[in-house]
Amino acid sequence: MAAAVCMLVALGAGFGMCYATSKAVEAAARQPEAASKIQTILLLGCALAESTAIYAFVVALILSTKA
Amino acid sequence: MTPVQIAEAAVGAVLFALCLAGYIHTSGQLKHADVPAPDDGAAVKRFKKKKTRKKLFFAGVIISVWFLIGFVITFFSGRKGGLVIAFEMFSKRVDVFGVSVAQTTLISLAVCGIIAVLCVLFRVLCVPRFNDRPTGLQNAVEICVEAMDKMVVGVVGEKTGAALSPYMFSLALYMIGCAAVELFGLRAPTSDLTCTFAMGLLTFLLINIFGFKTLGFGGRLKSMGGAVPAMRPMMIPLKIVSDVAVPVSLACRLFGNMLGGMIVMELLKGALGGYASGIPGVAGLYFNLFHPLIQAYIFITLSLTFIAEALEPVEESAKPKKVKKSA
Repeated sequence: MAAAVCMLVALGAGFGMCYATSKAVEAAARQPEAASKIQTILLLGCALAESTAIYAFVVALILSTKA
Repeated sequence: MTPVQIAEAAVGAVLFALCLAGYIHTSGQLKHADVPAPDDGAAVKRFKKKKTRKKLFFAGVIISVWFLIGFVITFFSGRKGGLVIAFEMFSKRVDVFGVSVAQTTLISLAVCGIIAVLCVLFRVLCVPRFNDRPTGLQNAVEICVEAMDKMVVGVVGEKTGAALSPYMFSLALYMIGCAAVELFGLRAPTSDLTCTFAMGLLTFLLINIFGFKTLGFGGRLKSMGGAVPAMRPMMIPLKIVSDVAVPVSLACRLFGNMLGGMIVMELLKGALGGYASGIPGVAGLYFNLFHPLIQAYIFITLSLTFIAEALEPVEESAKPKKVKKSA
């Protein structure tokens, strides 16, 4: 149960990545010549946004294997 | 053998026989038939129809072969599909000369050995044959090395980049090699927390080594404290805490991603049971090759960003600018 609650964090990460990606698409559409730079920044930002979900996942795993 | 199993096997065998017969028949027809003239509409249509039928029969042969293989495996091993979660948080341990060693450690050493042997072979066999006008393999290697050089130099600058680029390249090779091991049914070393933590610690060491080297001890402390001198005693402990968090976050990120991929693969294999031939291999291309590639890219980019952050000297703002009052 605790592990399941932990995975609710994935919701936040999903919203964060969605927001970042939508902004990146907007930026790339406005300035197609900067697309490669935007892509690098987007990947980095997505990795950081994703990391919260990953931490939650690790914690959930620890909880579920211990109990 | 239960009646259901007999029925399953019979259906599979009949399907296989039908599809094989159809495939042989249509391909024989196609071999003897001439390619119709393009202006003869009806003949072209018939020819195309035959070709599609041949492809359909071929797909049917493959599917029925897959089904029969799965049936035989299920029959002899007794494995059943379903929601099976069989994974271990930490890897199994084996005894090597009386010392208990994690399995993943041995696997990672093997990966290192294979990469080293390949590198030596590459140096001895391929590099002497390189010339100014690159062809084939040389092109591919040069593209990889140049891309890595460009990325590293772009983030941390010319001087540090020259030292860091080979390290980052070997790190990427190691990570991808580790993940590819999982395609052979072994556990990837990067899905073990100890391995990823060691890599995080290496990044931490690099951050501090390059930070102290370029800025000096006082300069590094200054840059940790930030621009405002009065705030430094408070800021430095905070900065130290956030610096210590860097290897932990890097390690947990890589570990979580790799373990997540492994669990998805295990779930897939468990769900398919005896029919787990072929399909996990295709899924593994994503989870064991593409995904680790992205993760290696992210690990390297983040490491470089943190190192670049430690290299930057602080901007002295001794004289705070007077804010003009707007009339």
